[in-house]
Amino acid sequence: MEQLIKILEEIKPGVDYKTETDLIGNKILDSLKIVQLVGELNDEFDIEITPIDIVPENFKNAETIYAMIKRLEDE
Amino acid sequence: MSYTSYNYLLLFLGSVLIIYTAMPQKLKWLVLLISSYVFYLISSGRLVVFLVLTTAAVYFAGIFLNKINDSFAIAKKGLEKADKKLLKANIAWQKRAVVAVTLFIIFGFLLVLKYSGFFISSAQTVLKLLHLKPKLPFVKFILPLGISYYTLQAAGYIIDVYRGKYRASENFAKVALFLSFFPQIVEGPIGRFDLLADQLYCGHSFDYDRFTQGIQRIVWGLFKKMVIADRANILVSEVFGNYNKYSGGVILLAGILYTVQIYAEFSGCMDIVIGSAQLFGVEMSENFEQPFFSKSVNEFWRRWHITLGAWLRDYVFYSVSLSKPFMKLSRYTKEHMSEQLGALVPASFALFFTWFGIGFWHGAGVKYIIYGLYYYAIMMVGMYSEPLVAKAFQTLKINRNSLLTESLRIIRTTALVVVGMMLFRAETVKIWAGMMVKIFISFSAATLLKDSLSCGMDKHDFLIVALGVAVIFAVSLLKEKGVKIRESLAKQKLPVRWAVYACLALSVIIFGAYGIGYDAVDFIYGQF
Repeated sequence: MEQLIKILEEIKPGVDYKTETDLIGNKILDSLKIVQLVGELNDEFDIEITPIDIVPENFKNAETIYAMIKRLEDE
Repeated sequence: MSYTSYNYLLLFLGSVLIIYTAMPQKLKWLVLLISSYVFYLISSGRLVVFLVLTTAAVYFAGIFLNKINDSFAIAKKGLEKADKKLLKANIAWQKRAVVAVTLFIIFGFLLVLKYSGFFISSAQTVLKLLHLKPKLPFVKFILPLGISYYTLQAAGYIIDVYRGKYRASENFAKVALFLSFFPQIVEGPIGRFDLLADQLYCGHSFDYDRFTQGIQRIVWGLFKKMVIADRANILVSEVFGNYNKYSGGVILLAGILYTVQIYAEFSGCMDIVIGSAQLFGVEMSENFEQPFFSKSVNEFWRRWHITLGAWLRDYVFYSVSLSKPFMKLSRYTKEHMSEQLGALVPASFALFFTWFGIGFWHGAGVKYIIYGLYYYAIMMVGMYSEPLVAKAFQTLKINRNSLLTESLRIIRTTALVVVGMMLFRAETVKIWAGMMVKIFISFSAATLLKDSLSCGMDKHDFLIVALGVAVIFAVSLLKEKGVKIRESLAKQKLPVRWAVYACLALSVIIFGAYGIGYDAVDFIYGQF
């Protein structure tokens, strides 16, 4: 989780990712930032995030992103 | 059959609703399917064959993908993780081949019917430049109704199935209804199978509240289209057709009025579409979210024609951005460029495809490609200059989120959009450039009033358009502030409520732009 928070802070600083609950609804992550984030996550966690995974539910907050990473790691 | 005609509103929509209500629940979907095909046959005749072929292509491809997925599910049981991965990779190419062939077929229809004339004339131009004298045939097909919309909808369906978002439907009628539903077939919104298909298929009983809401929404759409858009069209057609006759001020006015026209018309059409669907208990996606409150061009396109932007984002932008070659490029730029450039350069490439797509989708011509790239260029300037701009605001100690700064950003965005809309409306890029030059070199404020009244619109027309725009602005402002207008109105006492409805309906009847020699103007977005 710490690793993920660090990546998020690099991509879009100035947000408290531990408490922020809606990164999409509050327009913190747009499609450009999401693509950037996906690139970082793929490299860092050795997973393959595909377009089907890019739904608001997966990118809502740090916890949902983390859950997605765990799921993809198990696949 | 135009959505604003009596034939549609009273005869067609009215009778379909009566039959739909009277039918047992299990057969309601059949009413929608048959009426959608009747609507299509009335509007587009034999060209219905392309809709049927597109439906069949995605339906059978979906079934095929289901079979591949099912056999994979059986074969993978008991396999080790590594073997499973290998098997998955083995069937991936089969799935890819199915989708590629399907997309080739459905986009093939679109490309041949909509773009072959453009391709041939482009080839002719190239050959002429090479000093060859080509004799290529002139080709122009009549476009099947809504082909640009239902093709995207069909492609979205099959790509979703391929990606595993949902299982393909085994029910041909369900797919056929999803692609042909009559309120959306002319100009969208571009629907998603998982959000729409079940709503269309399950059958809804009559609900008075939903019925009145649907009717209100339709009347609101008619108000925008007939009172505002069709009236503004009088001046817009005259000035865009003969811009040399007019001063820069009138040309600018025509540009602003065209922006008003296209917004009132397209969003008005969406109101009629969404209202019509509501009568049958079907909730469609919204296509507009107060676009003229956008603080940047980027934001504007998130609020204007939302379903097209979302389609291109999900099926073009993400597909390109997350593809392997692209990921490689991202890694390369990250390693060899500054942190900021490393992120921007790949995004610039991916966005190029999206904006090229937006331009080309709008029409077969260089002008439309330039139209898409115009917005792309603005967006690129915005993205690359952002750090400098942020620094400038910081140095000058200006609050970027103050009311004044935000208002200025809204005005700037609107001005850029007006210029873009003028390019969209002008016959050619050359004419658009000529109009832009005239705005700057022959702007005469002194004669603006007199000149404006010589383009077919009199004082009363201007007054009606201005009042109409004021009403739309007030409604948009309330929505922007989070006020749910219809819910608030529904809470008012009956006389107040009905007074508002009556005013709106009467304004369409009294101020709608019609009369002897008047034909309702075709929906601009219905021609794509």
